[in-house]
Amino acid sequence: MVDPRSGPFLFDTSAESWLARTQSNWLREYLSLHQLHISAIAVLERSRGYSLLYRRASGDRKESIEARRFAYLSGLGRVWPLDGAVAVVAGEIMALLPDAPTSPRRSHHLAESRAERLSRWRFDGMIAATALVARLPLIHNNAADFEAIRSSIERSPGRFPDLGPLELIRCQLLSETVH
Amino acid sequence: MTATRHRAGGSKKRRTTLTLPVDSLTQAERIARARKVNLSTVISEAISEGLRVHSALERSEQVFNAYKKAFSGFTDDEMAILEGIILEPASRR
Repeated sequence: MVDPRSGPFLFDTSAESWLARTQSNWLREYLSLHQLHISAIAVLERSRGYSLLYRRASGDRKESIEARRFAYLSGLGRVWPLDGAVAVVAGEIMALLPDAPTSPRRSHHLAESRAERLSRWRFDGMIAATALVARLPLIHNNAADFEAIRSSIERSPGRFPDLGPLELIRCQLLSETVH
Repeated sequence: MTATRHRAGGSKKRRTTLTLPVDSLTQAERIARARKVNLSTVISEAISEGLRVHSALERSEQVFNAYKKAFSGFTDDEMAILEGIILEPASRR
């Protein structure tokens, strides 16, 4: 169990929505104590997602998606920028790990393209770099990608002077019962 | 409540009459003596801090409700798209 009082944390894109949908009590207590820290990259991924869903929808569904997008943007907390320091660290991560550790995602008759998988992998590298620069533990729901990044950083500490290790917290460790 | 207004230290102030719990008032008087400031200063600081906490809790509840709304009513495939996983029909690739 991870105590919300031990925050603040940086939340990966995969973690924000997972928490909002499944760990309401934990998120509510966390928000009473800290801001929700996220990377600008998470905002980019989310914003693109809402826009794609909006373009694919029709009629009332468009309005509904737009209302949810506004709700998301109105709740944004501390957004960490992709600045020079983050760019330097993200570049190191991308050089160490040019290829994604897992295959593109598939779901029934749907599939992720290789190009999309690569861009998502690079976004994960930028979010991990943000966590390192911000010196915040990263809460995620994507162990395959972030554990690969953490291991790689640990194997090359000289490339990340005065940074790291990358501290990761899996969403599953956030218990619903906190006191 | 009286309505005398004046400026001190740049912030607008108003004289008023409050009814406070004796225990709280006694504690505030003790703090004022210890810090060598007047009682109004201690009460004012305590109210400011209470209001700050209240505002923060209100804001956190707003953010929580915004997040609940932001991610409600989506299928698993739509949630994947919102998390940056762009899935498309295999035939379009």
